[in-house]
Amino acid sequence: MIIEPIEKYGLTITAESKNKPLFSKIGVVGAGKEGRTIIIMTATAGMDVVFLDESEERVDFVMDELGKVMDQKISSWGLTPSEKKIIMNRITPTLVYEDFAGCDLVIECSRYSESGRRSTPVRKNIFKKLEEVLDTDAIIATNGSTIIISELAAELDHKERCVSLYFPVSHPDARILEISKGMYTSEEVYQEMEIFAKLINYKPHRINESNGNVSLRLLVIMLNEACQMLLERVSSLEDIEETLTIIYGQRFGVFRMADIVGIERLVTLMEAMFNDFGETHYKPNPLLWKLYRSNQLGVRTRKGFYIYDENGNPVSINKTVFN
Amino acid sequence: MKILVLNCGSSSIKYKLFEMESKEVVAQGGIEKIGMKGSFLKFTLSDGQKVMLEGEILEHRAGIEYILGVLLSEKYGCIKSLDEIHAVGHRVVHGGERFNASVLITDEVINMLNECIELAPLHNPPNLKGIYAIQELMPDTPQVGVFDTAFHQTMPDYAYMYGIPYSLYEKYGIRRYGFHGTSHRYVSRRACEFLGVPYEEQRIITAHIGNGGSVTAIKNGKSIDTSMGMTPVEGLIMGTRSGDVDPGVISYIMEKEHMGTKGISTLLNKFSGVLGISGISSDMREIQAGIDNGDKRAQLAMNTYNYRIRKYVGSYAAVLGGVDILVFTGGVGENQAITRTDVCKNMEFMGIELDEELNNSVRAKEVVISKPSSKVKVMIIPTDEELTIAKDTVEIFRQHH
Repeated sequence: MIIEPIEKYGLTITAESKNKPLFSKIGVVGAGKEGRTIIIMTATAGMDVVFLDESEERVDFVMDELGKVMDQKISSWGLTPSEKKIIMNRITPTLVYEDFAGCDLVIECSRYSESGRRSTPVRKNIFKKLEEVLDTDAIIATNGSTIIISELAAELDHKERCVSLYFPVSHPDARILEISKGMYTSEEVYQEMEIFAKLINYKPHRINESNGNVSLRLLVIMLNEACQMLLERVSSLEDIEETLTIIYGQRFGVFRMADIVGIERLVTLMEAMFNDFGETHYKPNPLLWKLYRSNQLGVRTRKGFYIYDENGNPVSINKTVFN
Repeated sequence: MKILVLNCGSSSIKYKLFEMESKEVVAQGGIEKIGMKGSFLKFTLSDGQKVMLEGEILEHRAGIEYILGVLLSEKYGCIKSLDEIHAVGHRVVHGGERFNASVLITDEVINMLNECIELAPLHNPPNLKGIYAIQELMPDTPQVGVFDTAFHQTMPDYAYMYGIPYSLYEKYGIRRYGFHGTSHRYVSRRACEFLGVPYEEQRIITAHIGNGGSVTAIKNGKSIDTSMGMTPVEGLIMGTRSGDVDPGVISYIMEKEHMGTKGISTLLNKFSGVLGISGISSDMREIQAGIDNGDKRAQLAMNTYNYRIRKYVGSYAAVLGGVDILVFTGGVGENQAITRTDVCKNMEFMGIELDEELNNSVRAKEVVISKPSSKVKVMIIPTDEELTIAKDTVEIFRQHH
């Protein structure tokens, strides 16, 4: 068989004029649960994905987890083994930032510590390291719902390329990507992120940098009110949940939702919102503090408002919360 | 007169360039993995030498540009100017109810095709991309759309309606459309030519069986029923598609397996059929190898596969009020003798007498495989969808020029 490069057979396409397609290669810093979700989503959409984590062991663990998630999809008839193979082939682990060179977009997904906080200095450092290896027009994004992007961007040379993303975690069909424009984010970068959202089959929503975006700001208010009703013994947890699922047609009640998002994440966010806005209705309800302090953080710790089995399915209500 | 035939899939483009005077294929090949890593254009030269051109092919437009570039090239080409291509014929998967024959592609047709996207979300968009690319690269060359569904538009309403609320038909166009129309039309016509009988006076059953498959009942030259429905999942058991399934089973599976619409669709399209039953492969050759090794599930898959075809042949004999010609075509239909044997077994009562010896000794050529005494002529007719598309294209080109 004769094998040749194809470029010289183009009529108008030449090797020089060929534009690099947007988002052909993207990077992910930190492959915790959310990072892994992003890795799978983008690789499934046909992008080459490089992810960085801290050690060889960690990288092996992540690759293993990614394989497991895809095996689950196969066993639930959502994917074929050959598709899995193709997707896994697009994913490259690394331990060094240099491997992000050539990425059109890198998403910082550094993990929450046990206290539920992410270190701003660490994240700033990540942004700086990324700027060193990336082309000047590559986008640097952070995954989160608190206002931070302007702060993270502040010390970079090309601040306009920084943007904040929030992938809702409530359920697999929650395919809205909240894209936050910071102080410096350029319109061009925002529009490119809209394209990115569509490539991974998300609907883009424009957010002007604000703590909690839209999705979590609505959630925390509802959660605080629901907790307060529990404390006042107005109703039972089950009935409050049913009010939301049956009367308002939500997929999950608000307590279940809080467990899915993570109590630590919500408490931290609510504190930040309370500080920002000074409104007491953002102040985390004592019930949330109780769970937070006792490390009952929801699905992740298998205990929150509910108790969960190893697959994250609720087994029963956590009676210790409000009795 | 040269005609280019394009078949644009979601990540592939197949092409054939015909010299229509001689019906000769002067160039053919295909592109695979469009938009993915490792995309390539592969073709075979007239001396049998295979050529593979590797490089980034990000979208259909670029793919078609490279195809034209190769056709024009000094090294591998066969034309000096794109003007030598008189017209381009496209295979279009879904024409909905709007198209009952091949058409010259105009802006109005493109608008109508866009409206059909909902019926074939996977197939029609790449077909349209191919049309747009030719519009851009060869703006003066007429294009013709040849629809997989068009031949079946003659089905009577009672054959295409599902037994579900009529409002769903009105709202979403939910009805049976059928596919492989170009193939069923070609092989049924060709069978009549071969036998020297008038096409308009025959009762024909055509079984197009390959990785996907459908059976069609053709009366007096018109399709009156076919086994595929609104989507290509209905009817026969296929390589990975389930074919007919009790609709109650579908909601039951969804509940038991906690499955959404996407999951159930993947299950029925990619994990079912011969692959699902056998657990071995969707490829009948591997199933045959499994049977040779005594694998029971492989045998079961084969039996179920053949049985379903037989069931359709029987029911279409009833629909037609008797059969004159039974045609086998498609990869399996042309090559797998055991399937033809199983389908035709014990059908003497309706006039089918297969010549077993002949059936076992021939493959992939035009031949009658029934005994001379058989009232029904059983035949193998290799399908040629591209040539049919090219012929339609010429016909429509002539009407407009």
